Amino acid sequence: MPIPNLLRLIYRNTRVNTDPGSLVILLGLPALYLVFFGFGFQSLAGAAGGGKGYLAYLTPGIMAFQAVMAGTVGGSMLWADRRYGMLAQLLVGPFTRLQYLLGIMFTSVLFGLGGAAVMLALASLLVGTGTVTALGVGVMLGTITLGSIFFGSLMLLVSALVKSNNAYNSIQILVIFVVNFASTVFYPLSSGLPLAIKVLFDLNPLTYVADAVRGAYFSQLTPTEGWQLLVLAVETVVVLYLAIRAYMRSDVSME
Amino acid sequence: MSGSPLLSTPRGPAAGTAVLEVKHPHHSYDGKREALRGVSFTIRRGEVFGLLGKNGAGKSTLIKVMTTLLRPTQGSLRVLGMDPARDGQRIRQRIGVVQQGESFDFTSVQGNLDIYGILWGIPGEERARRRDALIQRFGLEDLRKRRSFDLSGGQKRRVQVAREFMHDMDILFLDEPTVGLDVIMRRSLLDSIRSEVAQGLTVVFTTHNLEEADYLCDRIAVIDDGRILVLDTLENLKRLYGGKRTIELTLGEGDAPGYFRALQERLAPTDVLTVKDRSGILLTQEPKQALSALVELGQTRAIQFEWLNIRKNTLEDVFLNSVEPGGENHADP
Repeated sequence: MPIPNLLRLIYRNTRVNTDPGSLVILLGLPALYLVFFGFGFQSLAGAAGGGKGYLAYLTPGIMAFQAVMAGTVGGSMLWADRRYGMLAQLLVGPFTRLQYLLGIMFTSVLFGLGGAAVMLALASLLVGTGTVTALGVGVMLGTITLGSIFFGSLMLLVSALVKSNNAYNSIQILVIFVVNFASTVFYPLSSGLPLAIKVLFDLNPLTYVADAVRGAYFSQLTPTEGWQLLVLAVETVVVLYLAIRAYMRSDVSME
Repeated sequence: MSGSPLLSTPRGPAAGTAVLEVKHPHHSYDGKREALRGVSFTIRRGEVFGLLGKNGAGKSTLIKVMTTLLRPTQGSLRVLGMDPARDGQRIRQRIGVVQQGESFDFTSVQGNLDIYGILWGIPGEERARRRDALIQRFGLEDLRKRRSFDLSGGQKRRVQVAREFMHDMDILFLDEPTVGLDVIMRRSLLDSIRSEVAQGLTVVFTTHNLEEADYLCDRIAVIDDGRILVLDTLENLKRLYGGKRTIELTLGEGDAPGYFRALQERLAPTDVLTVKDRSGILLTQEPKQALSALVELGQTRAIQFEWLNIRKNTLEDVFLNSVEPGGENHADP
């Protein structure tokens, strides 16, 4: 039976982006955050993580962070394919523009979920295994999927609009940095934060992803996480629409 | 590199069937200047059709329109009997394209071929057989584990061309495929294409290299500024221009513009003179008469010749004569 076009594209995207160099960035960076920040701040933030320590608190945050990393993979795929001629080559092959886009999106989700699973496994070695309910697992999967699509769309938008390699890399680094540290990945949203930073936290979709995954991880889901996921879904639809529009209008190559 | 055919047979429509009908397509990248301005021709199965032209003449734009990558703003095309606007994906399943620019995945040479085979849905055993045959045919054995981005320009080009033969096709579009290849590899590639053509493959081929066009093409179109200037079979082009001689001259001191104006008046109507600064290229069927007029004028106007040369015409003269202002245009769409 012939393999559908979309699966072939997902296979190709996965194979090309899982070389050792890419994996070091994709999994190594979050793993280092987990280990060094986790143990480093353990003594300072002993009360965090429902009494299980900062490492436990950080674990769902780092799982959520995988959505951002997956998004950067998605954006970089389009960027590299435009820059190095593969987008034009694929589009004179048996694929449509929409199939190519869906291929990137599904690959991003795959990377997001896969990365989160690796971080969960690593954390279970460091802090032991906890119990996550079936609902919790569902919320984790759904939230990281949604987050991966949001950040994948955001980076696709950037890679469709930007024409310079330096500009693309700078924007990518800036996005990772700001989104990561202006969220609840590493620390809770405390009342002592300056208003501007608090607003930034509230606007940052990664905060919603981190809060929902954390609620699921500690089996402490509340209606707040439900509302946050709803907002995230709406934001995802908007950014996905903008990304598709920019991508459909963009040149297929940098020539 | 040449040898047994790489692609499966039989394929495509019957011999002699029109596989590509191009009717006055226009295309503009910015909505102002048109890169393509209504070229028209028909290509039949098993034909090798050459597109010659200067840089920016519109060759690559035409290839992109024919391969459904760009949509023409006017005019129409039929590729393998289908309309690209409606059946783009079905058309692309039956064509192969080697683009002018490089295109690679970040993996090894072997990986690039493998992935391409998977993208085209080639089953496992067949994929491995083709990959190994292509690696051998294109002399890539020593490079198969090397990353594509670490290769030289010529090596990359070999991989890019080899990769396209991973799948079957009815029409192969080659946009300057031999750029960066050494002489031996270039000839081998052309021979390889010839052996596929003998099996019924149709090839559309752009090049700057006129020897290649001479060696491979059945018909040639010279394109400039988005239009076809000359289109004919190679035999006809040679017949048309082959009886003529080319006189090249460069003037020394004296009134060069006045000399060339006077010379133009003395030449036969069929003679073609192209002038650039103090140099001229004259295409003539009567070289003796042209030469005596040329020398006589030089004496009466006290002009010295720095360079004077007479030679037979080549395909290069056809090309130069077509694209230079004042050249003889012979369009036969």
